[in-house]
Amino acid sequence: MAEAPGRLIRLHAALLGLALAALAPGTAGAAPERPPVDRPALAAALCGPPAVQGQAAEALIRAAADAETADLAWAGNILRVLTERRLACTDTGAVILDRPGAAEGADAATGASRPAAGGRVPVLGLRQRAQVETALGVVALLSARDPEARGAGLAAIERRAAGVPEAVLARAETAEADPGLKRAIMQVMQAAALSSPDPARRIGAIRAVAEAPSGAALSRLRALEADPAYGADPAFRAALDSGISRVGRAIAVGDGLAVLYNALSFASILFMAAAGLAIIFGLMGVINLAQGEFIMIGAYATYGVQELFRRLAPGAIDLYLIAAIPVAFLAAALVGIAVEALILRHLYRRPLMSLLATWAVSLFLVNGVRVALGTQNLQFRMPPYVSGGLPLYADFIVTWNRLFAIGFAAGTLALTLLILRATPLGLDIRAVTQNRDMAGCLGIRTRRVDRLAFGFGSGLAGLAGVALCPIYSVNPGMGATFIVDSFMVVVLGGVGTVLGTLVAAIGIGGANVAIEPLYGAVAAKVIVLVGIILFIQRRPEGLFPARRRR
Amino acid sequence: MVRVTRRGFIGTAAALAAPAIVRPAWAADTVKLGCLFSSSGTMANIEGRLNYVVRMAADAINAKGGVNGRQIEVVTSDPASDWPLYAQIGRQMLQQEKVAALFGCWTSVSRKSVLPVVEQNDGLLYYPLHFEGDENSKNVVYVNSPPASSVLPAVDYLMGPDGVSAKRFFMIGSDYVWPRTINKQLKGYWKAKGIPETAWREEYVPFGFSNFQTLVNQVRSFASQPGGQPIVVLTVVGSSIPDFLREFANQGIQATDVPILGLDMVEADLEGLDTAKLVGHLNCWAYLQAAKGERNQAFLSAWADYVKAKNVPFSADTVIDPMVSAYDSVHLWALAAAKAGTFDVPMVRQAFPGLSFDDPSGYTLKMEAENNYVSRGVFIGSVNEKRGFDVLWQSPDAPKPVPFSPYG
Repeated sequence: MAEAPGRLIRLHAALLGLALAALAPGTAGAAPERPPVDRPALAAALCGPPAVQGQAAEALIRAAADAETADLAWAGNILRVLTERRLACTDTGAVILDRPGAAEGADAATGASRPAAGGRVPVLGLRQRAQVETALGVVALLSARDPEARGAGLAAIERRAAGVPEAVLARAETAEADPGLKRAIMQVMQAAALSSPDPARRIGAIRAVAEAPSGAALSRLRALEADPAYGADPAFRAALDSGISRVGRAIAVGDGLAVLYNALSFASILFMAAAGLAIIFGLMGVINLAQGEFIMIGAYATYGVQELFRRLAPGAIDLYLIAAIPVAFLAAALVGIAVEALILRHLYRRPLMSLLATWAVSLFLVNGVRVALGTQNLQFRMPPYVSGGLPLYADFIVTWNRLFAIGFAAGTLALTLLILRATPLGLDIRAVTQNRDMAGCLGIRTRRVDRLAFGFGSGLAGLAGVALCPIYSVNPGMGATFIVDSFMVVVLGGVGTVLGTLVAAIGIGGANVAIEPLYGAVAAKVIVLVGIILFIQRRPEGLFPARRRR
Repeated sequence: MVRVTRRGFIGTAAALAAPAIVRPAWAADTVKLGCLFSSSGTMANIEGRLNYVVRMAADAINAKGGVNGRQIEVVTSDPASDWPLYAQIGRQMLQQEKVAALFGCWTSVSRKSVLPVVEQNDGLLYYPLHFEGDENSKNVVYVNSPPASSVLPAVDYLMGPDGVSAKRFFMIGSDYVWPRTINKQLKGYWKAKGIPETAWREEYVPFGFSNFQTLVNQVRSFASQPGGQPIVVLTVVGSSIPDFLREFANQGIQATDVPILGLDMVEADLEGLDTAKLVGHLNCWAYLQAAKGERNQAFLSAWADYVKAKNVPFSADTVIDPMVSAYDSVHLWALAAAKAGTFDVPMVRQAFPGLSFDDPSGYTLKMEAENNYVSRGVFIGSVNEKRGFDVLWQSPDAPKPVPFSPYG
């Protein structure tokens, strides 16, 4: 830029002064004709250096209680434009672009069309981003039409409630039509009064904070133990003590729930990765090292379904994960059946050979996908039902992608048990697993059963691929991470029993999650592995040895 | 019928193999450079692209007449993300292919395994990654920055008023030499600043770890404790990076609550993620794709053209720091060889002091007599919605590299 930096800073300082004078509510009396939000000054300040941007956002928060709704909406728009990097700062003022990098846009203050060439597009620093987020929250709470947007605004304010004047919340509370939201605003107002001079309000604030227990709430309450009132005022002391113990209890319960949830979600991932293997290994004694790659095929099939939806039915794209379930199952099952028919069929009496052959298949599949589709992580659109989470109780958050996996694992378990227990194919599989030769003598076509069971086991791996898409990165090498874990589960559970696999998955997942906070993730893996070795030495057949007649 | 005897077979095989052995003799008008970047295994996605960048740089130099009147021939390999294989292939390249210099390695483990090989054979290895420092071999050119000119400025920025005035630190790393050394130096740095030990926590995970639920729970409870603004210093590598980021976003933590400083995080790690919820997290490198300047524009378009022309299996519009550093490496080597007038390693090494190269980042790279480090600029990037990084801060000039950290 040709301009001298010194001059620029002076210019910004002058603009800031203007903006602050304009935004501060106290100055309204001195210049009654000036509105609380001075649009050109705010636009200019947002083009200033980081400190000026932050001060402008804070000034807007302070002035928001007296501002006109139209001004708030305008300020909200320009702040959003700034966060989206669509605000270009030219020598003659700020320009709002329709999309990042556009050559021309609308003047921020007047709305007239102006070229933006050569303009600087400011990047928000973290501190300023926080201030702008809070300002956007205030604007949304005061001016958004949609109650959901107002709720989101309130959530943004709650993150940094200390910087928001009470008048803003009071105005929002008076104007709020939605009763639930009105109550929520009331609660934030009460909680914000922790440092109020009025003792009754402080006690009310302690109750309000204890009402929504979290680690942060505990820290806020603990900080009050150093307050002089704690020693002087018995009512205050009692309220604080009971608040702290209440929050502490809630956090303990929440943490316990979190451990259970983490264990269950890890167990469900292990179970899905291992279920197909349990059938293949149990039935045919084939150590299938390509099982991880069947998971990968399931995930790639899911991607294919997503792309089809994108082309053919973009409106229903959020349903692609559901639609992918049969596709992924069939894709992996077909590949499995092909592998069985072309390679494994010839190697049934030679376990070492079949192990090497499946390893070769796994290398072939990994490199085939790598050459055909590239090594990069696939880009999945995450529908709302698998992204984000719901804070359930204290610090316990239910993340949707994990819940999806848990539900999926339960579905897989039910399906597997149903097929094994209630269909002719399941009867045949169980017969062949228990005594292959006798089953053959009784007229069961054991080779056909093998092929179908291999396909079924591969298909289950494909299903695991669908459930893992929202949790892990999908790339050609993803299968390798699952193979060791799934063998541990199958061997520990006892070869060939689905229920044993389930119990082993829960055991290994739970042990990992329980040990990890104490000794770290590396030690957790080692301890679990040593535990499995010791267990297998005692009971080589695993937890639930299948009844076999040999 | 032709009888195949064992002796006859060996003779035929030797005759067929002969051209490969004699080839260097009749290829005397070329000089060979070797690449040690994996095209398979865990590092394939990010390391693989560096092979092509080295070729692209060599092509550009060849188009201008080569070095010392000879054309550059690039020899590539695939060490398959298997650390000992880097050493083995490096030895082959130095002894059999007689390469004039090696360009390679991403992880510090692989560099450490190649180090004895280049020292024994008096070869040259150009290493394009920022790393933990504490090493100064006369046979390695450290083209990227040691912590003193990458990690520490970034941590300083976050601790300062322009950043978030960070007071507490949660370090999460993969369990190997780079994260552990970096974290040791950071702890020493904080101790020197008078920050108490209770202000940080350190956790390590195995390579390829992906189940970050419990760790993110721990980050949340760490963040809710009193004592000031917390940040996460992330030194996990490979596929653990996107998996961690995904869990972090899903548990509802935003960059404005607890920012992540991802020391190995590049654009390629954001592929496949919804970055709208990750906006504002940081990384620090000696180059970012969003760097201003015509040199960067020229490099970006040269890469895009190269990808199109040679059908390279990587994204045409993603350029990451190690790619630019690999490109710089080839040019720095060519400058040194031209200055020395020979490809003889000791002579080339003597030519290092005083070299300078204007690279795409906009800074001028310089080498001095003290060590084999290169002074580079410092960028701090901020994740944006489009799976890229915006330049949040950059150093006014390229700081002088400090190989050995005083903090650990």
